[in-house]
Amino acid sequence: MRAYLALLRAGFQRQTSYRLALAAGLTTNAFFGVVRTAVFYALYQERDQVAGLDVADALTYVWVLEGLFAVVWAPWFWELAEAIRSGEFVAELLRPGDPYLRLLAFDLGRTLSVLATRTVPTLTVAALLLPLRLPETLGGLALLGAGLVLAAVVSFQLRFLFGSAAFWTPDYRSLFMLLFPVLWLTSGFVVPVDFFPGPLRALVDWSPLIPLLMAPVRVATGAAAGMAVATQVAWVVVLWLAGRLVLSLASRRLVVHGG
Amino acid sequence: MAEHTRVYLRLAAASVRSTARRPAYLAARTVAAALIVAIEVAGVVLMLDRFGSIGGWRPPEVLLLFGLAFTAQGLALVFGDTLEADKMSELVRRGTFDQVLTRPASPLGWVVASYVDTRFLGRMLAGAATVVWAADRAGVAWTPGRAALAALAVACAAAIIFGVLLAAAGFTFVTVQGSEAVNVLIFGGQYLASYPMQIYGSPLRFMFVWVVPIGLAIYVPALGVLGRQGPPGLPGWLAWLAAPVAGAFVALGGLAWRAGIRHYVGTGS
Repeated sequence: MRAYLALLRAGFQRQTSYRLALAAGLTTNAFFGVVRTAVFYALYQERDQVAGLDVADALTYVWVLEGLFAVVWAPWFWELAEAIRSGEFVAELLRPGDPYLRLLAFDLGRTLSVLATRTVPTLTVAALLLPLRLPETLGGLALLGAGLVLAAVVSFQLRFLFGSAAFWTPDYRSLFMLLFPVLWLTSGFVVPVDFFPGPLRALVDWSPLIPLLMAPVRVATGAAAGMAVATQVAWVVVLWLAGRLVLSLASRRLVVHGG
Repeated sequence: MAEHTRVYLRLAAASVRSTARRPAYLAARTVAAALIVAIEVAGVVLMLDRFGSIGGWRPPEVLLLFGLAFTAQGLALVFGDTLEADKMSELVRRGTFDQVLTRPASPLGWVVASYVDTRFLGRMLAGAATVVWAADRAGVAWTPGRAALAALAVACAAAIIFGVLLAAAGFTFVTVQGSEAVNVLIFGGQYLASYPMQIYGSPLRFMFVWVVPIGLAIYVPALGVLGRQGPPGLPGWLAWLAAPVAGAFVALGGLAWRAGIRHYVGTGS
């Protein structure tokens, strides 16, 4: 346990040391946030509610999205796949303890740093300047915190699965590139999934991409917050099992290759 | 100069041939670049259809802006992708750029021609398809004048984006690391120019009409294509100003690139 905590701290410190990248990232988030805010203000000029969302919900979506962007589409997205391809990953299997937990601890350290330096400041400033809909009770805020951390965990688990493709093919990047547009839309990063037509929306709500963005948004606005967190937890468990299965299949393969 | 052009064309051809060596990979990258445009447009269609209009513009009229902006960005990135911070930084750090400076060709011509990336043709073509589709749904009656305006919008906006990339590359020579913040202008500018300019507050509008005139280059010609009146302060004849403004912008980018090279000291690697 101590070892995993040390990894978590190391990940946090490593990510926090990129000051220039942090400034550039915050600028980008602020810019896109302002443009998206203007778009939603213009859209809601003649309407109060569309697909169950009002302007406060839409603005909350915008700023949770900007806050979580670097957590989900982390700059180190391909680090694991590159380590697998170069063979460095073998060292990971030789270290004591559980490789999946070790990777999770280090990754979570980095995403917690992003949450602390990007998500929370972005959301706080936006909430001070704009009429966002955020929890006002301590319990609600704690639930939002849990929702954000769970989003970070699921983002690691999905990155792990995508990166694991490198065990089987060196063309993992082209495969992902073809898949990416679909992930981009169905995770809600283009527009809130609430605007999708009924059947598509129902389908998407059952995908493991919901915990990344839409679940934290729902926790923030208080629309079925408990349900949203429960969905996140359920996906953490499922993806945990999937990750372990992939890792055990892949390690066997690695042994064959490295023989 | 004519002789140099031949050299650049051969370099560009070699670059295209080298990526075509793995046709499946090239196809995947090109299709993916087109798909991202299709998905973004699909998402916006879903949203706009729920609302009906934005700033008095109907969904197909907005999509025309999306198409123009994506086409321009794709065109700029076919030639200018290497000028982005991460790639330029690698050229500098690895010392590749030291060798470029010793060659009897213009460094800019060499960098642009050697790294032409046909993948962005996918983005460009998907953008152009969006323009045609949106114009049809918006009931645009194409005339030579309107087609010229659309082409003008794409050419000018692409030139402006290329100018931003040039200036950013000049900056990377000095800082070595470069800054991803430039992406705000390239990707953020495209995103912003995809919606009618009247929805933005005056600081944003001023910035993207007069300082980094991507908004001027896309929005004002689009008014002409759609046969719409612009808001006060942005009359339709401004479209013809887009060309000289874009030209001036590229010239400024070129100056920044040159200033960057003058301060280039390499990294000793």
